[in-house]
Amino acid sequence: MAILLDMRRGKEQKNKWHIYEEIGTEMSHFNLSAEIDRYAYTNALSKNSPVTKLLFALSLLLISVLSPSPVAPITVFLTSTSLILFCAKIPLRFYLRLLWYPTLIVALTCVIIALFFGYQEPLAEVNLLGLRWIIFRDGVATGFTTFFRVAGALSSQFFLVLTTPMTSILLVLRKARVPKIIVEMSLLIYRYIFVFIEVMETMRIAQELRLGYSGWLKKLRSLSMLIGNLFIRTLDQGERTFTAMSARGYDGNIRVLEDLPKPSNVALAGIIFFAVALAIIAYLTMDLRIV
Amino acid sequence: MLFRLENLSHQYSDGTLALDNISLSFAKGERIALLGPNGSGKTTLLLHLNGILKPTSGKVYFEDKPLEYSPKALLELRRRVGFVFQDPNDQLFAPTVKQDVAFGPLNLGQPADQVKKAVDEALRLVGMSEYAEKPPHFLSFGQKKRVALAGVLAMQPEAIILDEPTSNLDPRGTSEILHLLLRLNKELGLTLILATHDVDMVPLFANKLYILNKGKLVSEGAPAELFSDAELIRSINLRSPRITHLFEVLKKEDNLPINPRLPLTISEARKEILRLLESGRREKKKRTTA
Repeated sequence: MAILLDMRRGKEQKNKWHIYEEIGTEMSHFNLSAEIDRYAYTNALSKNSPVTKLLFALSLLLISVLSPSPVAPITVFLTSTSLILFCAKIPLRFYLRLLWYPTLIVALTCVIIALFFGYQEPLAEVNLLGLRWIIFRDGVATGFTTFFRVAGALSSQFFLVLTTPMTSILLVLRKARVPKIIVEMSLLIYRYIFVFIEVMETMRIAQELRLGYSGWLKKLRSLSMLIGNLFIRTLDQGERTFTAMSARGYDGNIRVLEDLPKPSNVALAGIIFFAVALAIIAYLTMDLRIV
Repeated sequence: MLFRLENLSHQYSDGTLALDNISLSFAKGERIALLGPNGSGKTTLLLHLNGILKPTSGKVYFEDKPLEYSPKALLELRRRVGFVFQDPNDQLFAPTVKQDVAFGPLNLGQPADQVKKAVDEALRLVGMSEYAEKPPHFLSFGQKKRVALAGVLAMQPEAIILDEPTSNLDPRGTSEILHLLLRLNKELGLTLILATHDVDMVPLFANKLYILNKGKLVSEGAPAELFSDAELIRSINLRSPRITHLFEVLKKEDNLPINPRLPLTISEARKEILRLLESGRREKKKRTTA
């Protein structure tokens, strides 16, 4: 979330004068998650069966995370990325923007793993102000593997969120008999998160225009009021939505039209074949030495 | 009579008396407008018609039978009488337009293919078919408003209640909604009951007007009748339609021989101006021949 806010702020600085005009109409424009949502509905694969895409993404996620060597995760990363770029036709720039922050964080973590972990076979020795520092071979190997595992897992999940509208994911969850309360809550949260992003942004700009963020203490005060207000607004919105739903015969069950595209058997067979092949690769490369 | 209110009062839990002893009746097939300033009780009154609020005292009759508040009776009432809320964000809760419009018919227990047909038909009526798969946050305010109306139309009601259907809309959106409503009334025979404070819109829409102020029914009748009483209209913080005001000034300040029944709309004003010009010409002719 902090990342999202930061990115938004950067964009606002650039076109400060447009913010005011865009309140309410293009508010979501500032938000990375809103952009992901937009691509989910407009990409070239959005009409394909969500069951297929979900199955694909989940199996690749599992294999990436469980694979002992980096070979399978690298394959997963390359496959997902090319599907995202060439089949779903997501612009490369946007995909790189998505990858940038997580990659930074993961790379840092993996460097730390490589430097501090491990106990077999010293690889190098550094003398730091009289302190002897030993880097181990297996630590470096773990660092590498972890990096590629995360990259594979991330890309497979980006594939899912960039190609599959939230609405279809929810329908699949309902079909898979995920408890009703979870599905219905997600459905309402998904819808109203965009309403509240707009409300929040409008309130924040109103505060800023009255100099509510012109100092550290003021910033803190304005932000706390914003959060408090937003909370009350959500309660109020809940009440009003409930009334409106009652007016259309709501009885405690949200019924939905199920008209998902049918998963093709060829695609399902392909996914299973691919997953099995990857699992075998992962197994065979278990003892591969990369350093 | 479709609806009849008998000595209806409603007091909110904080003590405000929102409706004070209101009696009126709405006939089938009419285009009814409730006009009143902010806080006059319009919305509260509308919420009684659909059984969302219960009167503190007095009674609501639907087709001459007192309203029942059992879940089954309410479901039946809400199928026959739809409600379009002022803020479409309150009403559109589903992740796509299509799912939202389908919500009502699905609650009525209709089979899926029938629901799909009703959804397509409703979206076609409001001109939003191409947005069926879009999530509501991709739509403009006016489009959301039309989808909210489609959500109600899909339940095939006999009457629709609309709370401020034109508020916050741009001129184009206002005129689109207005024409859509008139068409629904004409083609499907839907009874329309709406609350508004848009005085310029009322004469274009309503054939029956009720004026509310501070929870009381101030006046009722044809729009032309009520708007001719400019004093009353002004006393409750409303105003006459702009065009009516112009003719009132021309009559009072400039002593033009204007019909006592002042024009309310552009087309009525046009007729009146042509009539004035014509009589002026005749007068001139008479004078020159004399």
